[in-house]
Amino acid sequence: MISPQLRGKLWKWNGTLGILSGFFIFIGLFLGLVVSPPDYYQGEVVRIMYVHVPFAKAALLSYTTLFLGSCVYLWKKDLIVDNLCHAAAGIGVFFTSIALITGSIWAKPTWNTWWTWDPRLVSFAILLLILIGYLMLRTFVDDKKREASYAAVMAIIGFVDLPIVYFSVEWWRTLHQPMSISTRGISIAPGMLVPLVFMMIGTTLLSLYMLMMRTQMLYLQHLLEAKQGGLLSEEPS
Amino acid sequence: MLFFNVIKWILWKDILSEIRSRESISSLFFFALNTLFIFSFSFSVDRDVTFALMPGLIWVAFGFTSILGLGKSFLSEVHNDCLSYLQIAPVPKGAIYLGKFFGNLLLMLAVEIILYPLFMIFFNLDILAKLPSLLIISMLATVGLSALGTLFSVLTVQIRAREVMFPLLLLPLSVPVFIGAVESTQGALSGDPFSAYRHWIELLFIFDMVMTITSFWVFEFILDY
Repeated sequence: MISPQLRGKLWKWNGTLGILSGFFIFIGLFLGLVVSPPDYYQGEVVRIMYVHVPFAKAALLSYTTLFLGSCVYLWKKDLIVDNLCHAAAGIGVFFTSIALITGSIWAKPTWNTWWTWDPRLVSFAILLLILIGYLMLRTFVDDKKREASYAAVMAIIGFVDLPIVYFSVEWWRTLHQPMSISTRGISIAPGMLVPLVFMMIGTTLLSLYMLMMRTQMLYLQHLLEAKQGGLLSEEPS
Repeated sequence: MLFFNVIKWILWKDILSEIRSRESISSLFFFALNTLFIFSFSFSVDRDVTFALMPGLIWVAFGFTSILGLGKSFLSEVHNDCLSYLQIAPVPKGAIYLGKFFGNLLLMLAVEIILYPLFMIFFNLDILAKLPSLLIISMLATVGLSALGTLFSVLTVQIRAREVMFPLLLLPLSVPVFIGAVESTQGALSGDPFSAYRHWIELLFIFDMVMTITSFWVFEFILDY
């Protein structure tokens, strides 16, 4: 589906993406950790937001990529799209774990607990479990084409399931007991918004960069296996 | 017509082989019975405590049983290469899914219907009047579990580490079923009016619809990978 010429052109942008994302993240971190003011209520703890929120968004971005890629794979059966999905899942695990861990670190001083059964927390944890299940499933299938199809099916089912998980947990919490813990609707001060925007752009670029690198790696690995007469009967297009 | 005939014959074949061998239903029943005993040893026999824990106990038992039962629903097709013949059969693949799905649904419902009286006896519960609403809840939750379970069963039947992968894929995705089933069972057991737990029934219903339709649609891509 993607012609080799276009692919080559896209891959030339790898380095630029990496450098740009590094630049944005560096500026964002500097502004967030040093320049921006501490929060009136939360104090210095608020600074973890500059990592947590962008990483959570990047995790959702990876999973959306995974879902769309899986749909395209089932439609076109192009193995490089499958490599893209595989890459997106791995990156998704990375971003989701970081988002969960930083959220936990933030929750301890703010909510005085490491973990609470909040809808967003639970759906993120479920998302992590689905992604890990997805990656494990891939390792256990021997045939490459079968692996790609099975994984795509798993990703689509998981993506459809996540909103239902979110709403069910939300009902479960709100009806069981009043939300003892809730985030106040904070309207963000400009001094905090600027580093957040920088970090958002930076992590989006970072996830794109990682996605391209990883896709390239997996693709070359396939090519190598095909050359060695390994698992692929035909050379990937 | 072919579509419905395929569903009918696949379902008939599963029922017939189950009637002849009685493999699944007896093993599932005794497994659930064992779980039930373990529960009663693990928790105190205090009546109030048991009553409070009951919805959770019922659904943990049903959940484990369905992992065991649904996980091997396509295993019988692997013997004698039946799965390959299903793959090459010139019939709509969705119909094969629905046939297996109804077979699994009937099997799980049969086990659950046998188990409810046992819960009543062993945990000294008086739930006879609430049995109809409990059965409706079981039905709805089991539809969701079977829809996902049938799909993941065919997904894992031909891979390595099948027994591990099946629950790993099924359990995170069936979180809404368990929440909905436990909450509505709680409502039904404590004798609340239907309107108090209606939204849980609706949740189960939505989950059933979404998962059955999605699984039906993607099943084709598993057989014709």
